[in-house]
Amino acid sequence: MTKPADPTLDCPIGQVECSLLQEIRGLRTEVEQLARLSQTDPLTGLFNFRYLIDALHREMERTRRTGLTTGLIMIDLDHFKYVNDIRGHQVGNRALQWCAARWLEVVRKIDVLCRFGGEEFTVILPATRLAQAVRVAERLREKLEISPLPLNPGELPLTASFGVDVFRANEELSPETFVERTDGFLLAAKNQGRNRVCYEESKVLRPATEVTPDERIAFFATRWPRE
Amino acid sequence: MMDSRGPVKLCITSGKGGVGKTSLTVNLAYALAANQKRVLIVDGDLGLANVDVLLGLSVDRTIRDVLDGGVDPAQAVAQVSAGVGVLPASSGVPELVNLGPEEQDQLGDLLTAIMVPYDYVLLDTAAGIGPSVLWFNTFTEHNLVITGPDPASLTDAYALIKVLHRDYARDRFHVVVNFVMSEQEAVQIYESLAAVTQRFLDLKPVYLGGIPRDTSVMKAARSQRPFVQQSPAQPAARAVFKLAERIIELA
Ligand SMILES: Nc1ncnc2c1ncn2[C@@H]1O[C@H](COP(=O)(O)OP(=O)(O)OP(=O)(O)O)[C@@H](O)[C@H]1O
Ligand SMILES: [Mg+2]
Repeated sequence: MTKPADPTLDCPIGQVECSLLQEIRGLRTEVEQLARLSQTDPLTGLFNFRYLIDALHREMERTRRTGLTTGLIMIDLDHFKYVNDIRGHQVGNRALQWCAARWLEVVRKIDVLCRFGGEEFTVILPATRLAQAVRVAERLREKLEISPLPLNPGELPLTASFGVDVFRANEELSPETFVERTDGFLLAAKNQGRNRVCYEESKVLRPATEVTPDERIAFFATRWPRE
Repeated sequence: MMDSRGPVKLCITSGKGGVGKTSLTVNLAYALAANQKRVLIVDGDLGLANVDVLLGLSVDRTIRDVLDGGVDPAQAVAQVSAGVGVLPASSGVPELVNLGPEEQDQLGDLLTAIMVPYDYVLLDTAAGIGPSVLWFNTFTEHNLVITGPDPASLTDAYALIKVLHRDYARDRFHVVVNFVMSEQEAVQIYESLAAVTQRFLDLKPVYLGGIPRDTSVMKAARSQRPFVQQSPAQPAARAVFKLAERIIELA
């Protein structure tokens, strides 16, 4: 969107201390900061929903051009309403920050972690296959499961549910509907008891392997060398 | 001459477990290598007695590293002797096979790239007719079905041939009968199987040979060496050398 302020910017008339230039530099930095602000969630420091949709547009376009699938993980903290209601909003907010920080430790460099809103998070996985995306989700799930939020005194165990999906080059899909479709797997994870990762299981080949009675009879009609 | 067509790929499969797939795969590889062939073993089984155990291998690079991390595919192969390379199961092959069609294609591409320098590729599979077993069987142009002389393993071998033929249009089956007392017994067992496939599937598998029950097999397994190397003059080894010759004639 915005280019970083160019420190090598030179004064056109060769003045060493050019006030105009200084002002331009300052403005650029400000624009940059504003852009970053408009893209981040102030509580967690993660990217926000607006950035998510922008980034998804970009990655899905990349998928259309390269054929490499874009992965998406939708995350929802389990029983977060309970945390907010019983422990209070401050603990709730700390829990959100805690999750963000723990997950940032385990996502890959190329992954984009966003706070979708409320207690929902999203990860975009550029150029990633479903199996890899599922492994990333599983890593996030485990990380949170073993990292309870430290309280004074005690600690608060946290878990989350995960839905995972990929966008393929041959699909007609908007970022919004991609998010919705992935949300469906998140819903399945919730319904299946939470603290789990759901995705579309590969179409497992399940052939009818039975040997029919006729075939069986044919076998047993043969003379067995050892009988 | 073979280079222009790429390696000959054989999937060793059985339906029933414990009929000798893994020991045949490993020893056949060494027998082919003894004939100056370069052989790649792909271990498609996560069972207990798999190829790396039989050969006392330790595994560091995996297929997964290759797919995820851009590791050079050749690094996942362990060179166990001059002519024999092994792509071990601990490298996550079976797990990868249980994936969607797209990922299977990727695995196929990867295997195809890895196997370029070889003359023969032998794929050892797990027992049963699971998705990974079927995938490996459709990946190779030849299917080597191994059975014992008992009705249970023969019926399972038939069930496997049936599915592969009916659902995947496979028709190049080669039959090996293990644990026999004599070549004659092996032929008899083969014929009873072929009679049923001809009648119900209109399909005639090719008889490849028999392997006698032989105590040198177990002894070699215990010392983690192929029996064709440890006791090349014993009946089992001689039978496998003969199988290797037949397979070379196939191509
Ligand atoms: N010809 C033979 N004579 C004696 N023992 C044999 C012979 N062939 C195989 N065995 C022994 O039978 C056992 C099963 O063999 P192997 O592990 O090769 O079977 P498998 O089909 O690969 O089994 P699984 O289905 O568990 O993978 C092993 O202990 C092996 O040493
Ligand atoms: Mg085996």
